[in-house]
Amino acid sequence: MKIAVVVQRYGQAINGGAELHARYIAEHLARHGQVEVLTTCSTDYVTWRNELEPGVEQVNGVPVRRFKVKHERDPLVFGKRSDRVFEQLHSLGDELDWLDAEGPTSPALIDYITKHASDYDYCLFFSYRYYHAYYGARASRGRAILVPTAERDETIGLSIFQPLFRGVRAIMYNSPEERAMIHAVAGNESVPGVVVGIGSDVPNNPQAARFRQKYNIRGPFAVYVGRIDQNKGCKELFEFFDGYLKDPAGKLSLVLIGNTLLPIPEHKRIRHLGFLDDTDKFEAMAAADALIMPSYYESLSMVALEAWALGRPVLANGKCDVLKGQCLRSNAGLFYETLGEFIGTLEAIEQNRWLAGSLGRNGRQYFKDNYDWPVIERKYLDMFERLKNEVPGPGGDPLPGWFDRRRQDLPAAQDVLAKLPKGPAGRHG
Amino acid sequence: MPDFNVRSDSVNVEQIMEQIRGRIREKRGVDYTEQQIRELAAVKLEKFLDPRGVRSDLLDQFRKAQPAYEPPELPNFAFEDATLFESHRAPIRWIRKLLMPLLKLLFNPNPLIQALNIQSRLNTINAERDARREAARRQMDQLYYELVHNLVVETTRTGIEVKNLKMRVESIASRLEFNERRARALEGAVVYRSTEPDEPRPQRPAPQIPQPRQQPPPRPQQQQPRYTPPQPSYTAPVPVAPPTQTAIAPPAAVTEPPPQAQGAGVPGEGPGQRSRRRRRRRGRRGGGAAATIMGAPGSAQPGSTGAAGTVESVDQMDAIDRIDDDGSPDSEEMHDAAAEQVEQTGIAEADHAASTAEPPAVDQAPVEHAHVEQPRVELVAPLPAAPSATESSSVAPAEPAAAPPPARDPADHDPQ
Repeated sequence: MKIAVVVQRYGQAINGGAELHARYIAEHLARHGQVEVLTTCSTDYVTWRNELEPGVEQVNGVPVRRFKVKHERDPLVFGKRSDRVFEQLHSLGDELDWLDAEGPTSPALIDYITKHASDYDYCLFFSYRYYHAYYGARASRGRAILVPTAERDETIGLSIFQPLFRGVRAIMYNSPEERAMIHAVAGNESVPGVVVGIGSDVPNNPQAARFRQKYNIRGPFAVYVGRIDQNKGCKELFEFFDGYLKDPAGKLSLVLIGNTLLPIPEHKRIRHLGFLDDTDKFEAMAAADALIMPSYYESLSMVALEAWALGRPVLANGKCDVLKGQCLRSNAGLFYETLGEFIGTLEAIEQNRWLAGSLGRNGRQYFKDNYDWPVIERKYLDMFERLKNEVPGPGGDPLPGWFDRRRQDLPAAQDVLAKLPKGPAGRHG
Repeated sequence: MPDFNVRSDSVNVEQIMEQIRGRIREKRGVDYTEQQIRELAAVKLEKFLDPRGVRSDLLDQFRKAQPAYEPPELPNFAFEDATLFESHRAPIRWIRKLLMPLLKLLFNPNPLIQALNIQSRLNTINAERDARREAARRQMDQLYYELVHNLVVETTRTGIEVKNLKMRVESIASRLEFNERRARALEGAVVYRSTEPDEPRPQRPAPQIPQPRQQPPPRPQQQQPRYTPPQPSYTAPVPVAPPTQTAIAPPAAVTEPPPQAQGAGVPGEGPGQRSRRRRRRRGRRGGGAAATIMGAPGSAQPGSTGAAGTVESVDQMDAIDRIDDDGSPDSEEMHDAAAEQVEQTGIAEADHAASTAEPPAVDQAPVEHAHVEQPRVELVAPLPAAPSATESSSVAPAEPAAAPPPARDPADHDPQ
């Protein structure tokens, strides 16, 4: 079995959610078959500048074939086209222009897929929103399996992606909420799909005491791991934690791990440690009383899964359907939507050891049952086996013609998004 | 929020979240978002403004109803010196100019021209001023409306906050009340436990009926919880028993309350409060008595003037106790104030006596007097000389083993 993993960026130093997801999957599927990664020369998801050499290299024993990006992203053009397609009545041509402006535009990659698609049994496309997935899935002629990593943002409301969701052989969803959203927007219930998610290589025995000693952290604390950004809900987190600090009953500190795009509030109980390697990150999670996940938009929070794998409870933003659904299904995390709930839930985890311990145990079990690597690998292999016995479909709608591209009849993406069903999926997905 | 009712291994997050939300509602009231506050304010505005037919989106309606102000075109005229003689017809203008000297010969038109010219300028100035005033007034109106709108929003927010604060105050008050009750209960228990061994036992009057030690009398208190207040302790003074007598007074005789004391407490007072109060007083008094017995500086010897004074103050205290017992409606504060006064008098007298009394030998200090159940009897009785150890054991209560060891008196410097 030969599989192509197609992703916008790839490398050991690239820690973006979908990219890391793709690397983990590639490395684990490589134990069951021949895997090759097709990607671009970019490492920066903002500029898509060509920073790596094109050609083939090995990353953790997996061959990686890189292709040049045709042009970098122009933020002004991208912003203007985003406003157009997200907020106004527009045409298919506008959406295709938006896709081109978003990047990474790599016709060389698409040409390669077109020519060599038959060399692979299946092509796994990660992240539906990028150029490589839209054009690559068509070029792979019935071999495309999509890992959409879709979040509840305006992009899901763009019309060009609906044929993509309907045209691939199968879809590997990250969560039941993501599946429900894509079904609602594309009506692709007939496409084989399974909720898989992602595992994590969590160490068996993280040294929490070593982390505390190394970073001189004393007392109980909650940890946030990820990019410290307004889009990740960190601004709200700071406001809410400020409210928590005013409550004399609370004793937790907040430890922030990750690069920051926001000013960190100056308080003796808020510590920013910057970007840490995996060892320190896992030790920090093991030392923490809880992990806080304040993001509004997540298709699957790997950090939350890692915290659960380490037996730590998670406090998630209840406005994110996926996180809320995960907390409910796992019975391993609490969630908040208001300041009062934030303080109440954090104090509950902090002060009720029985509750925190039970949540952590449930999280560990949830991770073991659903996100352990053997489970993940088995789901992928089962899907490959299933597709082997099914006749491939027509492979999606043809590309729109000249007139179709210019017809201004597509609603604003944010209007489409507003009509999609909200809320977490049921307890059993 | 430390505790939850969920007490099983299977945690239900939904249930926990419901409990947390319920707790938040109890603790802080409902958390309203800004949008909800505005909606509530709109409802209040509707309530206020409905009679006048103004809707709650006051500001928007006001702005829509009032377009941008444009000053009205008021009628005016321009009047210059040649205005009277102007005409669009050239021949007429020429004739008028020709006849002008003749006209000026008949009357002087200049004052008329000047007056009308001034009037025209005044009209223009007034119109401009009115326009400015009107514009300013309209701006102020918008400001006032906005102010009123914001005031209503803020008032609503404040109202909600006040409501929440009231709830919190009620919650804190109930907790305070509970804590006070708990503190009183604990205090009662502690007093009962600590004063029991500390209470000095001077020569206990011997009972009238001797009873063998091997047959302990029934102890009604034995079945009660430790913090149960002791029974009313008023008993008539009994004569002092010989030191060698090994029997003790039957508890029934000791603990029998006077008939008038039963059910005659102050209305609203609990059954154990009076006795606890008395015990506290005796605890205070007991310090002096213990010091006296142990021979500490300041203690009065029997027969000294200080002892007489102490006995006198003890009598006064007992009188207060009797007032307690007879169910008089006097307030507890009056009793306590009177008790404090008597106590201070007693202490002053004791201090005065201590300056003249010789300190007794340390080894004579009786330490085995912690089991006295009837301090009134002890205090009323004249303080005898310190008994020997045998005597002490002979006057021990029926079950000395059940009582805790006496607490060490801080004044006792004997390391043993």
